[in-house]
Amino acid sequence: MAAPMSAVGKPSAERSPFNTTSFQKKTRTKLISIPGTRPSVQNGQLLVSTGVTSLDYLLGGGLAVGTVLLIEEDRYDSYSRMILKYFLAEGVVCRHELFVAAAQDNPDDILQELPAPILDDIAIHKPVEQPRLSCEPQDSLDAMKIAWRYQNLPKVQSALASSSRFGHYYDVSKTMEPEIRQAAKCHHFYLPEHPTQSSPAHSTMLESYSALLKSLQEVINREGFDVAAPMSKSRNILRIGLHSLGSALWGDDLSCHDNPKNGHALTTFLYGLRALLRSSLSVAVVTLPSHLIQDRALMGSITRLCDNAIALESFKGSERETNPLYKDYHGLLHVRQVPHLNCLASKLPDHKDLAFKLKRKQFSIERLHLPPDLSETVSRVSRGELAGAATVASACGSGSSGNKHLDF
Amino acid sequence: MLPELLQGTDAGGFLIIQDSASYSGRHLLKSFINAALNREEAVHVLGFEVSEEELKDGLKGSPVQRLHFHNAYSDPLGWTDQPAFTVHQFRLEELTRLVKQTSHPKPATLVIDSLSWILRHLSPPAVCKTLQQLRKGGSVRAIIGLLHADMHQRGTVGSVCHLATSVITVAPGMKGDGAVAKITKRSKSGKVVLDEVIFSIKDDLTVVVQSKPSQLGPKQIDPEEQETDPTANLTFNLRLSNTEREAKEKLALPFVFSKEKKIALLHSSPGSGRILYEPDANDDYDQEDPDDDLDV
Repeated sequence: MAAPMSAVGKPSAERSPFNTTSFQKKTRTKLISIPGTRPSVQNGQLLVSTGVTSLDYLLGGGLAVGTVLLIEEDRYDSYSRMILKYFLAEGVVCRHELFVAAAQDNPDDILQELPAPILDDIAIHKPVEQPRLSCEPQDSLDAMKIAWRYQNLPKVQSALASSSRFGHYYDVSKTMEPEIRQAAKCHHFYLPEHPTQSSPAHSTMLESYSALLKSLQEVINREGFDVAAPMSKSRNILRIGLHSLGSALWGDDLSCHDNPKNGHALTTFLYGLRALLRSSLSVAVVTLPSHLIQDRALMGSITRLCDNAIALESFKGSERETNPLYKDYHGLLHVRQVPHLNCLASKLPDHKDLAFKLKRKQFSIERLHLPPDLSETVSRVSRGELAGAATVASACGSGSSGNKHLDF
Repeated sequence: MLPELLQGTDAGGFLIIQDSASYSGRHLLKSFINAALNREEAVHVLGFEVSEEELKDGLKGSPVQRLHFHNAYSDPLGWTDQPAFTVHQFRLEELTRLVKQTSHPKPATLVIDSLSWILRHLSPPAVCKTLQQLRKGGSVRAIIGLLHADMHQRGTVGSVCHLATSVITVAPGMKGDGAVAKITKRSKSGKVVLDEVIFSIKDDLTVVVQSKPSQLGPKQIDPEEQETDPTANLTFNLRLSNTEREAKEKLALPFVFSKEKKIALLHSSPGSGRILYEPDANDDYDQEDPDDDLDV
């Protein structure tokens, strides 16, 4: 099971006053709390931030320690790589240790591209529900005469955010200063540097994956991230970022063939990874080029083997780029799986239609909504083009064809 | 964007020309070879599919001396005793040795004709690994490969193109004269640029870009239609004259509060609830004196 809250003593003292509860449990244990983590308000799991506050909100407050987040890459691997970099940057800022594994690019290159944290702006991100204290009351009050009680509420609540100072914000246009980056301890695994030993004929895992798993196990044991290790030292979290697993450069033909020969190599690896994570204080983010994998059943089993799974679908290059519905966003985000950790039911996200947008200071994930369609003569976009978007109830007036109007 | 790609890829670039049975990409490949030769670079060609004469046909002049053709056409699988170049030699060490044999100051461009041939005989992960090693190593400056997309499964084509920095997909044009090229270019910073052009290749292997193809996709959205005025054509009057409008605005609404009360109500959240009470005339009821409201 994932690291329960009792392994950590008092809640972290750095919590902001805007946290959902100010209740502090009195404990007699001498355990030190781990910076950058907080217990979940739903089930008491220890959570870390993914670096993207909207994603934290979607995952139920954060990523639970001991779990795996699977990110299905978009077609050109731009946004999934961005989320991986946010995850690692958050680890640097919270002083966690990092483990980066990649087959295509050198992990050093990935670490050099980390976004710079906005340190003076760590202050509370105002949640949307708070009314804006306008300095000109006359203007705001005259805005609505009859419905004046609603005038400070936003028109549609589309931004998702939780109101605690748990995650940080990053400026994508700048890279992190080398001093900050070198203060964090990083472990690298670059596949071309590991000579492949011939594996025994019966192993279902590929040499590359076995080497990676062995390296991970060795780092966890050596640096003391094991839950079973003596509790006297100060504890820290290990953040593991695995880039583009399942691609051809890892030696896996999962993405090349429709019926891969070693179809179970990646699933065996994920099973071993999850077992390793459950018994240690670490958290993993895995990106996978799922658009290359043709076998949907295998994709389904890969999704089931990871605790959290999201898929990114970028609009670049697809016909959706010109759709006016999507013009504010860079892509769609699908939540494929939410974890059940020590419980029967999990918290599902309220909204299924999510779109993301990479802004300079924030990666925001918002609910996709259609504005109300007030004019009766506007031509309705046909259903085929609106695939995936939240169809408003007003679409019932026009049916599935384009311009027919029903005259009553 | 096609002319920029012809000018030269930057170091470590990997360009794939994806064609199909309906339009061959070999002419475009020859244009790239021609452009590289004109830039005074050494070009090494691994020829699996066509013979040397056929490939050199059309490439004229002195630059041809810088073109080194490695004959993998006559015996690619090594059936005879003395094969020139076999497909099993497609490995990093062999290729580096091959390229370094011809001493030339500038690092060479490697042209592979075609990648499909290699993918039929070697496993795709191994081919991808070799290509990635070639890119990262310094012996070859740029790699250009021809890939027949309809010969492989979609995952294979996708995996190989995932490694490439630029992909040009050629298809026959609508009008019959030129061909359509869809270009995807990934820069080092991660930005992706997409483009679509119509081009044709002249006899001396220069590429002429004609125009962008017309949008044959969904029709442009019509400009905003005139919103019909709902107050027109009715049997009753829904419009307001100016005096009527002023009278309407002067009307006191039932729940109008004073300005201070409005501000207080609006800003009293989060979380706390306050009851604001303005004493009403009816609340003046004195329990002791029931006849207080008598007007006697």
